[in-house]
Amino acid sequence: MLMVLAPTMMLLPMIWLCSSAHLWTSALAHSMAIALISLSWLCLPMEAGWSSLNTFVATDPLSTPLLVLTCWLLPLMILASQNHMAKEPINRQRTYISLLVSLQIFLVLAFGATEMIMFYIMFEATLIPTLIIITRWGNQTERLNAGIYFLFYTLAGSLPLLVALLLLQNSTGSLSFLTTQFFPPLQLHTEASKFWWAGCLLAFLVKMPLYGAHLWLPKAHVEAPIAGSMVLAAVLLKLGGYGMMRIIIILDPLTKQLSYPFIILALWGVVMTGSICLRQTDLKSLIAYSSVSHMGLVAAGILIQTPWGLTGALILMIAHGLTSSALFCLANTNYERTHSRTMLLARGLQMILPLLATWWFLFTLANLALPPLPNLMGELMIITSLFNWSNWTLLLTGAGTLITASYSLHMFLTTQRGPVTSPVVAIEPTHTREHLLMVLHLLPLLLLVLKPTLIWGWTL
Amino acid sequence: MHFTTMILSSSLLTVFLILTLPILGTLNPNPTKSQWAKENVKTAVKTAFFVSLIPLFIFINEGLEVIMTNWEWMNTLMFNINISLKFDLYSVVFTPVALYVTWSILEFASWYMHNDPNMNRFFKYLLIFLIAMIILVTANNMFQLFIGWEGVGIMSFLLIGWWSGRADANTAALQAVAYNRVGDIGLILAMAWMAVNLNSWEMQQLFSLTASHDLTLPLLGLVLAATGKSAQFGLHPWLPSAMEGPTPVSALLHSSTMVVAGIFLLVRLSPMMENNPLVLSICLCLGALTTVFTATCALTQNDIKKIIAFSTSSQLGLMMVTIGLNQPYLAFLHICTHAFFKAMLFLCSGSIIHSLNDEQDIGKMGGLHQLLPLTSSCLTIGSLALTGTPFLAGFFSKDAIIEALSTSYLNAWALVLTLLATSFTAIYSLRVVFFVSMGHPRFNSLSPINENNPSVMNPLKRLAWGSILAGLLITTNITPMKPLVMTMPLTLKLAALTVTITGLLTALELASLTSQQFKTKPLPTTHHFSNMLGYFPSVIHRLIPKANLVLGQLVANQTIDQTWLEKTGPKMMTSINLPLISSTSNLQQGVIKTYFLMFFFTMILAILTLV
Repeated sequence: MLMVLAPTMMLLPMIWLCSSAHLWTSALAHSMAIALISLSWLCLPMEAGWSSLNTFVATDPLSTPLLVLTCWLLPLMILASQNHMAKEPINRQRTYISLLVSLQIFLVLAFGATEMIMFYIMFEATLIPTLIIITRWGNQTERLNAGIYFLFYTLAGSLPLLVALLLLQNSTGSLSFLTTQFFPPLQLHTEASKFWWAGCLLAFLVKMPLYGAHLWLPKAHVEAPIAGSMVLAAVLLKLGGYGMMRIIIILDPLTKQLSYPFIILALWGVVMTGSICLRQTDLKSLIAYSSVSHMGLVAAGILIQTPWGLTGALILMIAHGLTSSALFCLANTNYERTHSRTMLLARGLQMILPLLATWWFLFTLANLALPPLPNLMGELMIITSLFNWSNWTLLLTGAGTLITASYSLHMFLTTQRGPVTSPVVAIEPTHTREHLLMVLHLLPLLLLVLKPTLIWGWTL
Repeated sequence: MHFTTMILSSSLLTVFLILTLPILGTLNPNPTKSQWAKENVKTAVKTAFFVSLIPLFIFINEGLEVIMTNWEWMNTLMFNINISLKFDLYSVVFTPVALYVTWSILEFASWYMHNDPNMNRFFKYLLIFLIAMIILVTANNMFQLFIGWEGVGIMSFLLIGWWSGRADANTAALQAVAYNRVGDIGLILAMAWMAVNLNSWEMQQLFSLTASHDLTLPLLGLVLAATGKSAQFGLHPWLPSAMEGPTPVSALLHSSTMVVAGIFLLVRLSPMMENNPLVLSICLCLGALTTVFTATCALTQNDIKKIIAFSTSSQLGLMMVTIGLNQPYLAFLHICTHAFFKAMLFLCSGSIIHSLNDEQDIGKMGGLHQLLPLTSSCLTIGSLALTGTPFLAGFFSKDAIIEALSTSYLNAWALVLTLLATSFTAIYSLRVVFFVSMGHPRFNSLSPINENNPSVMNPLKRLAWGSILAGLLITTNITPMKPLVMTMPLTLKLAALTVTITGLLTALELASLTSQQFKTKPLPTTHHFSNMLGYFPSVIHRLIPKANLVLGQLVANQTIDQTWLEKTGPKMMTSINLPLISSTSNLQQGVIKTYFLMFFFTMILAILTLV
């Protein structure tokens, strides 16, 4: 674990000490090297449970894919931000990269933590750099409002979690993930224990976000700069899913009944947010709502608590992380050229930027879960496990897949096909950097098709 | 490994390899040559066809069927997904047919699309589409089948929307995917049910494990899937809309390969269906309804491609009827024969459309028998084969289906509808031939009429031979898997022919009536019903999307997200705290003398009470 953490921390002095001409290249090279090192975690024997264990951090089949995703995303964020940061003073550029790096440190510690309080602290710590990224580097005044929503929704959810964790510490004497499955069964018969159950899950459900507590997400996505959107969609939302998978083991006897309303709410959210996507005019908002819709499926898969549900949720989290991050990058390439997020103002881009249209198409397909991409494997497993729970859920999940296909292709058709609109006639061509960015998103998705077991979590 | 087995499986793998090579070649960053499409793609498909004949001959000679499992893709607790290919009657026969038809279509497309700047890309899409179809046909487990299933769906999106500058093409492409997705829900339902109850997606295991289960629910899912993909009644409007694509696309996707995928799915999984009378009757009635409804719609169309598209839909209905009769072999036979003459009809219409300067209205054609002799002869052969003229390709399958239907004791209603549709087939086929090749020309005198190009003539000739011979060749060489009823009364034996001839005579009579005016004005009600496609798109395409869009905008976005969730969440925090804040801040007016005075008096009071 230190093999990744130490170089990541050393990124900070490097950013501040290296010459301004080499800032972006060296940050990119260094972070890419870290990402490549982190791939070695995938080679560790998964059957044994925990590996690379030390006092505070370790990896296991559940956290490894998310850790690798986190490390993989930092170079991509640096690559994506390069253009729109170029006009800023050099020290602000350094600050910006430092924030991204600090986010990676917190995230690695959060996913690697073997102790709940440490996980909790890192979970909260990620808020700080994200908040700064959104409110400092966002484009419009609404970014302040978005920052407040982001902070307060998450904090309001996670304070009960702290109390719940302290209570758990009181009754079991340990908060270690390593020993979770050996805890004596908790005596959860009182009414208050139901509140404790809710307190344990609420923070993660808000972070996912569950339908109903999702208002902060579209706002944050729309206002954040590209790197913020990417990391938010790809990794930060997954903190919620990860935390839920970790903690739901100890909540066992209660979850069976108490989770029903949340499952229904999540599935209902899939349909509702999908319908919202059909009517969005704002490209980033559309992608953000599509994230809410996909994460609703993930939440349902986790709450159902079958091996297939959990595996499907993990697969979908990884696949969705790469896909939505790529879609935000694509939206950003449009935004950097047309300076507008409105879809109708930039149509027919296929005529002008043909290769970019190919990327749009491929990621649209990933978003609507085309087999054999991991997105489909995840969705299919979740749908199957929900079907096993109740046949009627297929009405909602089926409607969800139909609506997802509709809005994904609607997004593709509106931006890429049709006649060229006048504001986009004279726009600059694409850069190799942008194509590289897309390839680096696509490559893991395609390679995971060949060996999906890498991201299957516990059910090996 | 046995020698013939090895030859069979390795030659089929070679087919995959040959088809994939040109696509891998395009990953080369240098731009492809303008002749790439013709040289590489067409040659690849042609070679693949000849290679795929080897397994076919082995199969005919020895009846050999192979299942090969190459690679364990993923496995979790007790659930394996393998890459497993099934080379049985269906895939071994269908693969050469699909390759032969595609070969002709590609050659034709190299003429039809020669002005298109992106012709190479067009050919690449067609090739990927073909590969997806072959994956679907050879799949031995549901997941692999799903890959091919979605692959053809997405490639059809790209191909239908080929002329992407036009809004109509984009709408048609989106429509195709949306209707197919409705079908996919059915397939997902079936797959989920299988995973939950049978714990396997492998075909053999499915067939052997299903005996003890009630299969109605998953089978209904499969029927829904087939309804979406094969454009059965209810989910049919995408097929005629898909005519927005270039004609070679229509020929490939919407005649011989993609739309039959739904029927093929049911044929493939027919061992699961045969013991479930409910689902069989649903298939029977659904197919009968489709075949008669779409045949009715075809009667009054004026767009030549739309007529052929509706006739495809009608034939798909007939195949569904056959599935409902529990005769999957006959349905498969009809898939194969139908591929030849339907592809040829589309290519003929493409040749005509090209020659008449992109004119698709049969009202503005006529007299083409003198001007495009080969094309109109092929059009006539195709129409005759479609109507089931004895000893052409369509006869062997269609006649057998109607015989099987009329000798079964299933459902007189379905029989009547199917016979009606059969007679309609004769009517609209005659209508096409009548308006296109007979009579006098009704088009502009400066049309660039020219069919003297090997890329037009060779594919048409090849498909014409196929339309004449395919039925005979397949029926004489391949033994049906179920015994067919061979003895029946003469009237039943001649039923199909009788209704067809009746339809033809009626149509001729009607055609002769067109030049005589008996009524002062025509009676338009039935015409409107047929011409407006039974009012189906105008009702359904308006109501359901509108409901969903209203749900999205008014309910989900404005009422819930932007009003109630804001109001009860963040805004309520503000409104609760605001009175407290304002009263606290109102107290602090900065009147420092008063504060000190208050402090002073309180102090005095406190001291006094203490003392």
